[in-house]
Amino acid sequence: METKLEVKNLNAWFGEKQALKNVSAGFKGNSVTAVIGPSGCGKSTFIRCINRMHEVVPRARVTGEVLLDGVDIYTSMDAMDVRRKVGMVFQRPNPFPNMSVVDNVVAGLKLAGSYGKDELSEMAEKNLKAVGLWEEVKDELRKSGASLSGGQQQRLCIARALAMEPEVILMDEPTSALDPASTTKVEELLQQLKKFTTILIITHNVSQAARVSDMTAFFYLGELIELGETESMFKAPQNPLTERYITGRFG
Amino acid sequence: MRFLSRKGTDRLVKCLSAGVTVAAVIPLFWIVIEIIINGASALSWNFLTDLPRPFGETGGGIGNAILGSFLINALASVWGIPIGIATGIYLSEYGGGGRTGSVVRTAVESLAGVPSIIYGVFAFTIIVMTVRHYTALAAAVALGLMMIPLVAKATEESMKVVSSEMREAAMALGIPKWARTEKVVLSIARGGVLSGALLAFARISGETAPLLFTALFSLYWPTGLDQPMATLQVLIYNYALSGFGDWVSKAWGASLILVAIVLVINIVVRVASRQKFTEGT
Repeated sequence: METKLEVKNLNAWFGEKQALKNVSAGFKGNSVTAVIGPSGCGKSTFIRCINRMHEVVPRARVTGEVLLDGVDIYTSMDAMDVRRKVGMVFQRPNPFPNMSVVDNVVAGLKLAGSYGKDELSEMAEKNLKAVGLWEEVKDELRKSGASLSGGQQQRLCIARALAMEPEVILMDEPTSALDPASTTKVEELLQQLKKFTTILIITHNVSQAARVSDMTAFFYLGELIELGETESMFKAPQNPLTERYITGRFG
Repeated sequence: MRFLSRKGTDRLVKCLSAGVTVAAVIPLFWIVIEIIINGASALSWNFLTDLPRPFGETGGGIGNAILGSFLINALASVWGIPIGIATGIYLSEYGGGGRTGSVVRTAVESLAGVPSIIYGVFAFTIIVMTVRHYTALAAAVALGLMMIPLVAKATEESMKVVSSEMREAAMALGIPKWARTEKVVLSIARGGVLSGALLAFARISGETAPLLFTALFSLYWPTGLDQPMATLQVLIYNYALSGFGDWVSKAWGASLILVAIVLVINIVVRVASRQKFTEGT
């Protein structure tokens, strides 16, 4: 598999505080990478540099390169175009409460592009099916997106991100606000999604990382300590810090 | 030694605050009851649809004043509400944090504090003095100006409470700023914006001072916006002070209509905003 996403010498700051230190890494296409590390280690900042959401924070700054299919998203792409190609799912489900279930799914297409009505409802159905929500909500498509249960809302948000047909999907602890059954559904979903996209998922749950990911990236104090195949990293971590973290001795 | 037990103090405070609350609500009910008692007898179909009769003649109605109030308020809303909403959007989503933003915010707050008679004198000076006759347009200018700060403030406040998660979610979809503002933030805040607009409408419905300088009054049906025009407020003012029994009773009747309009608007706002809260969760 080819490298879909490459990060070279990435540094990020909040004002004077450096949140990411010289991070370089490559991510293969059609894979799931778990991003792990203790709170405040720069995981969220890292993935927010990949869809250019870090730079919108006042006084935030980024240096280095982020290459999507070899194209630098900072110098050769418009921020809006980057965010259409690199989708994001947040920690707390955040469907738009002013929009129906269907309109939530196609919100990005509707508000950022020009699509016909039939095309939009087709896209809505296709993506609701992709996240396994269609059967559950097909009779309440016109209800507010906020009327669904928490787990359904999160899958709705994943469908909303998928509808943009992103090359990469970033997930920031997508299951931490969900019950175990919903968590399982989202985890199973990841295996379907990686067939046509590349996923980076932040998780605080080490066993979730082991379950869902092909690769794991361990961050500590803003540095990428170790990046490797999940299976081998969990069996034999190269760095003693990684070992201490995944065995639960700190973090 | 304690003068009262803990429970005793609790009961005392509860009674005091309940008593004060009742005292605060009494004037409202008193006014409404007084207006109903005195005004109800004046009500009839003709009262609502007929033209006023000249001084000294009994009968007639206040139809032209009802229509006039509606026309002037509508005209004021047509330009005052959009500018108010646009100002609120600017303060909440665009320049609100910067220097220009704080200048605009101070201006809006000062505008909200200007006594209504000043709006009247202003419209009188720039319009009535120029065209050399009283005109309903000047009234719509004065009342529309009054609406701007009320609507701007309501819009800003209701947009600001929309959680930043919504803005982030929209941004992460690559939705451009104007669409995030209009289709996401403003749309989520629409209940509050609508409430603000309705309350501003209710507020100008009761203003009299600006009208005395602008639309003044007329005993006839409105013939044009550039002409003097009757309004409920000025009719009440004229009739109540006339000393003529039939007109005084008509002033009560007109007051009843005016209070009813304002109360209905307030109740609509209450019910609508309660619905919004149950939907939102």
